[in-house]
Amino acid sequence: MKWKRFFLNPRILLLIIVLIGSIASLAARGLTFGLDISGGISITVRLEQPVDPDTMEQVRIALEQRLNALGVKDITIEPWGNQFVLVKVANVTEEEANQLLETIERQGVFYAEFEGVVFATGKDILSVGSVNYDPREGAWVVPFRLSREAAEKFAELAKGKAGYPVDMFLDPPVNSTIVVSKDIYNVMTSDTFTMAGDMTLPERIKKAFNIDIVVYENQSAENIAELAKGKRKVILMGVDRELYNQLKELGVNVELRTPSSNQDTADFIRSVLRLYGPYRVSAGLATGQPSTEVMISIGGSQTDVKARNDAQIVAVVLRSGSLPVKLSIERIDYVSPRLGEGFKRQVLVAGVAALLVVGLIVYLHYRRLRIALPVMFTSFSEVLIILGVAALIRWNLDLPSIAGIIAAIGTGVDQQIVITDELLGGEERKRIVKRSGVLKRMGRAFFIILASATTTIVAMSFLFKFFVGGLRGFAFTTILGVLIGILITRPAYGEMAKVLIGERR
Amino acid sequence: MIKGKLRKLVKMELKKMILYPLIVFALALLVLAANYAITGSIVKEGIELKGGSVITLQGVNANPDELANTLKDKTGIDVKVERFTGITGETGIRVYIPAGADVDAVRAVLKELFPTVEPQTVVIGPTFGQMVKEQGIKAITYAFIAMAVVVFLFFRVPVPSLTVVFSALSDMVIAIALMDIFGIELSQATIAALLMLIGYSVDSNILLTTRLLKRKEDTIEDAYYSSLKTGFTMSTTTLGALISLWLFSTAQVIDDIASVLIFGLLADFMNTWILNAGVLRWYIAKKGGRK
Repeated sequence: MKWKRFFLNPRILLLIIVLIGSIASLAARGLTFGLDISGGISITVRLEQPVDPDTMEQVRIALEQRLNALGVKDITIEPWGNQFVLVKVANVTEEEANQLLETIERQGVFYAEFEGVVFATGKDILSVGSVNYDPREGAWVVPFRLSREAAEKFAELAKGKAGYPVDMFLDPPVNSTIVVSKDIYNVMTSDTFTMAGDMTLPERIKKAFNIDIVVYENQSAENIAELAKGKRKVILMGVDRELYNQLKELGVNVELRTPSSNQDTADFIRSVLRLYGPYRVSAGLATGQPSTEVMISIGGSQTDVKARNDAQIVAVVLRSGSLPVKLSIERIDYVSPRLGEGFKRQVLVAGVAALLVVGLIVYLHYRRLRIALPVMFTSFSEVLIILGVAALIRWNLDLPSIAGIIAAIGTGVDQQIVITDELLGGEERKRIVKRSGVLKRMGRAFFIILASATTTIVAMSFLFKFFVGGLRGFAFTTILGVLIGILITRPAYGEMAKVLIGERR
Repeated sequence: MIKGKLRKLVKMELKKMILYPLIVFALALLVLAANYAITGSIVKEGIELKGGSVITLQGVNANPDELANTLKDKTGIDVKVERFTGITGETGIRVYIPAGADVDAVRAVLKELFPTVEPQTVVIGPTFGQMVKEQGIKAITYAFIAMAVVVFLFFRVPVPSLTVVFSALSDMVIAIALMDIFGIELSQATIAALLMLIGYSVDSNILLTTRLLKRKEDTIEDAYYSSLKTGFTMSTTTLGALISLWLFSTAQVIDDIASVLIFGLLADFMNTWILNAGVLRWYIAKKGGRK
């Protein structure tokens, strides 16, 4: 009967419910680890001066467009405040990491091409206006100014060719061989890319950039290596890995590209070729009269976020992916994935060891398992709940976050000892006779706990607010741990302690 | 045995209880001053604050001096090499490269020497380091002020509150002095540890102050002795946890946080249970509010 009452106690019940919730959250979502554990590179980029949110968004898009050229997966670009951007990429090789760094600092190369002829490069784009919505066209437009020379060249090329496609490229894979599956080849030569023109996309890029498209029909690796002689590299699209390995063995500079999730074939082709468009030549531009003020319009309603976004990307590409402010790389952290595994194991071992040591020391002090076990159980629950919340909100657990959890557990144990000692207090001389005595002692213990929790939370909030770097994780888990402590686990431990110590007599 | 030692503290003269910790505090200040005179800063700044690079190679066992010389011969860069060992027997080395030097050159040589090891690299620009430092100082200052305000709000009596704030300050000063002595550098991690120290320090001080000022059923000696025992239990468990953390991990972040907290906790034990207790006992005796 006593146990039933114990488990129905609201504080114990709350702990049990939260524990179950945490286990469920851990099981359902799993933990996500920071790059310093799971491996990867994190690059802190500093803008020359603080910028407004709009400019920050432009910087983000520009970085995204450039970095996508590398075909590296899972790039996250996080603006930090108004002057820093954090670029994080999980699981990169050192080679890829170096490419990333190079790409961030380098300006892209822009080409505008028509019928296999490059009529403008980055230097021909004199200025790019801001993206705006044109209600008459029913489209988002990007106005820009072309050099006289490029405008004349284009007028001549496009005379009488309304409806033909114009392609724009940022860093295309010039002078390469691309091996594609039949399906991909079919899309490449479809109307999506040909429009009303008379040249297919593979024909245009062959002429403009010396890019060969080869359909994969189980040719041998040697055969393909032969075809690619004199080319800068071979790119494989929609072709199995086997060929990639064989080519690699032959010493060919080869890249294997696979579409990212929810990317359709046409977008996949665009991303590999670094193609934007194609855009249809309007009747007004096919008259043979050169015009320097031109624009690209992207159909969609005013509230169409995707159209607006696409237009913004076009604006960035026209600027050769150049940024509105100067960037400098301020910090690079590179952890190889294998190393991270070792860290994870170490932290786990250290955590378990710390918990056991705490249990042992508590036991040595009180010589009672009925104190040591609840203390360990409570600390363990605290870890579990913190991890559960971290899984729930998909907090990236990095090393500082884990240190924060440990710090929170440290204060947690301290506070449990305060509660225990308040209850045990004076026991050697006189027994606690009245129940009110227990309550008073508990009250005092909780005053102490509340005061120290408040100071910790206040101190850590400053850390959380002021730091740009990884220490926010430390502050976050410490605050979380202290909050869980005062709201859930400490009251529950109080109840346990009351049963095990206070009312035992 | 240990409990008997704690008993001795109860019998200690109040004057000594206040004086000794103040002497330690003064010595710590002296260490900081000496360090400032020699190096130009009160604590050695790590590359996170100064700028520069670190390449870590786990699972490598090499003579640090020899390696530094080899690197110097091949790249012409003055690097500092350090070896570390975890309790699980894993060893590794860290190569520190000054700001502005060619990190890739060093990395290339290391790759040649240890082809199977994947290096972990951190490169930090000097301006970024400056910013981290400013942020860190700001965070510690504000946290300290906030802590003082919270303590005053909780106790509403000047002398005990001031003592709590002073112990926290002394904890930090002593921890920094020990960092100087043991060559631990100021980094983001150690700044966080110093901030954490504010929390721990206030913890024990609030416990003591509450017990002495509010527990009216015991004599002052008994109240002091019982809180001393609690404080001793608290400090030993935390120290145990930190030491096991320090022993088991070779991640620099965790090692640094653990060592600074260990220093701080040792300082805190003295500042809380000797200094603050002495001041409080003197304060209570003077007010004569207790029988």
